[in-house]
Amino acid sequence: MSGPGPLAAALERTRALIAPPSGADLHPERTDARSRLTAALSPLVERLPAGDQVVVTVPTLRQALVDPDRLARPEEPFRWKSAFARRSLGLAVVEACASGRFRAPARAVGPIADEAVAEWERTGWRTFHWEPWLAGLTSGARAMVLADAVGWATGVWSLLDWRSLASDAQVGGAYDQWVSPAPRTIRLKARSEVRVPIPGSDPDTAHEPTSGPRTALVSVSGGCPTPGWADELAYLALVAGLRSTSRPVPARVMGLWPDAGIHRCVEIDAVALDRVTDRVVATVAAVVEARLAAVPAD
Amino acid sequence: MPPVRGSPPPAPLRMRVTPPVHTVGMVVMDVDRMPGAPAAGWDEGSFVPPSGIADVHPAHVRLPPEVIRRWQPLAGNELLERLRVTGRRRPPVDLELVSRLRVDLEGGLAEDRIDGDLPAPVVVTKDRLTAILACEAHQLVTGFGERAPTIAMACGALIDVLFRQLVTVGGIDDPMADGVAALSVDGHHQPLVSWLERLSAADRAELRAEVTRQAEGLQRRWPALEPGWLPRTQEPMRVPLLGGAMELSARVDLAIGRPAVDEGSVAIVEVKSGARRVEHRADLHYYALVETLRSAAPPFVVATYYTRTGELDVEPVTWPLLFAAAHRTAAGAGLLRDQERGADQVRRSSALCARCAALPGVQVGPTPAAAGAIASGASASGASAASPTDADRTAA
Repeated sequence: MSGPGPLAAALERTRALIAPPSGADLHPERTDARSRLTAALSPLVERLPAGDQVVVTVPTLRQALVDPDRLARPEEPFRWKSAFARRSLGLAVVEACASGRFRAPARAVGPIADEAVAEWERTGWRTFHWEPWLAGLTSGARAMVLADAVGWATGVWSLLDWRSLASDAQVGGAYDQWVSPAPRTIRLKARSEVRVPIPGSDPDTAHEPTSGPRTALVSVSGGCPTPGWADELAYLALVAGLRSTSRPVPARVMGLWPDAGIHRCVEIDAVALDRVTDRVVATVAAVVEARLAAVPAD
Repeated sequence: MPPVRGSPPPAPLRMRVTPPVHTVGMVVMDVDRMPGAPAAGWDEGSFVPPSGIADVHPAHVRLPPEVIRRWQPLAGNELLERLRVTGRRRPPVDLELVSRLRVDLEGGLAEDRIDGDLPAPVVVTKDRLTAILACEAHQLVTGFGERAPTIAMACGALIDVLFRQLVTVGGIDDPMADGVAALSVDGHHQPLVSWLERLSAADRAELRAEVTRQAEGLQRRWPALEPGWLPRTQEPMRVPLLGGAMELSARVDLAIGRPAVDEGSVAIVEVKSGARRVEHRADLHYYALVETLRSAAPPFVVATYYTRTGELDVEPVTWPLLFAAAHRTAAGAGLLRDQERGADQVRRSSALCARCAALPGVQVGPTPAAAGAIASGASASGASAASPTDADRTAA
């Protein structure tokens, strides 16, 4: 049995990503998820000292599942590393290739990095935030950042057929965020690497309270899928859905693990939203417990 | 014996650039030796860099003049062509064979499955595999990723990042400064960077001389790689097995080639700053296996590039090679899993590993799994022994 090779697999993967959604928009389910979260989270965080806040991200969900003790540990002070810059630089590289400006990540990475630094030097505006850091690196260190970004971008570039994606597919972009109206701030944050409008999925505006096509999200991770990956993908759709009630809830989320050549897809339906809502509540509960346990007794 | 007249200072030639490895691995590979090179005394301390300094050699090795004159490392397009044209048909993409490969691998691991899950997957790497197949006791003694820095290790790490730099930006300014800066940019190499900062002036000078020499060789010989071939350095590769209970892990210095359509299209190159060793071939086979499983397509070639000499050891990938690699990997992975589970308290040591053989509770002799793996590896090498090597070539 010959083929399909990786190139054909990329084409099939992309088709699956933009296939018509299986169900209707989930506006009522989103409203329900919001109510459930608000009701469940408020009593949990009331136990925290005033001024505390809880930020939930995909890594937080993962830690709560596999290593809850780490939830209470203070985060290391932020310091730029190549590993942090490679995603945003890599995404800019992928975007430049997808738009046809460059034909390969290795060709794009140098000009993209140079342009970002030049723009920051000219205007003071930091599109990527790493510009001053990159500008201060010596040639050897800078080369490692570029090499990391090329590797990351090539992995993403090779797993999808970019010609099949609509020209308005959004590569990168800001975090989706939703802040719960609770006594202590609870911020749900999620980021997707690509947001793709699904062709022909615009809701019937006469009957649906949302506008615009449904979307598919793409999430890129290192290593192999870990336990709980399905809820973690659904979390991206939940936060995107909570953030903007005027837009449809994303129809599906595809996870890419380039290191392992693996992709997984989660169709977002009422069950998926329910499950991930439960997991968010359980995660916040674990964070609160860990923090309270870490506070020394008087 | 006094140095030969006209030779450069002897210190760089006595560099400790070869990583200390298990004694079983201390056999210098006999294939692809430079024609006419003496078998005895041709070890890490006396290897003559043949490129550009043809009149330089250690005093105790007398190279025939025709050898010195004839052998030149491949460079530029010749090097590239040597990688691209292996002399064999590229392996076809065959999902059924990929599936059988996985079944063989997982079947071999499931046979001696022991109840009870481990909290984290057993991670298999090329080094762990080689170590445990050579000597189980040695693996216990050395542990996982716990090697104290040495000059050889530092040289290897610096050359790795300089190679990345060369492939990515096309040039190297000051090899030592660029290399140290590259190692410092992330936290992963901090212990090595701190160790480098504490090096004595003499050791540092010695390291700098060797790194500079090898980096210059790289710049002189390595061709620019077309971006359209998607060159990527330090490419991480992972393959989960047995539902995630085990994970094959690898990181290759260079992968090049677009995703395959109907036949293997990717070349994998490992860069080594030290001496040639027999286990490097098994490492390449392991990389080929991991790439095949993760991409569902085999690479068409795997190669090791020796920066110290400019030698290029190229091996075309075949399906028999991949199946042999799967058997070897299953044998080693099973031992690693048993060790992590603490299932087998008897540690077997290779008779050649004097240090481990003397440890209490250690039984001397090959493990059945290792013996099988060695046999598999031998058959794989046999299958590919017909492949030409660059050392067989002479400069035009």
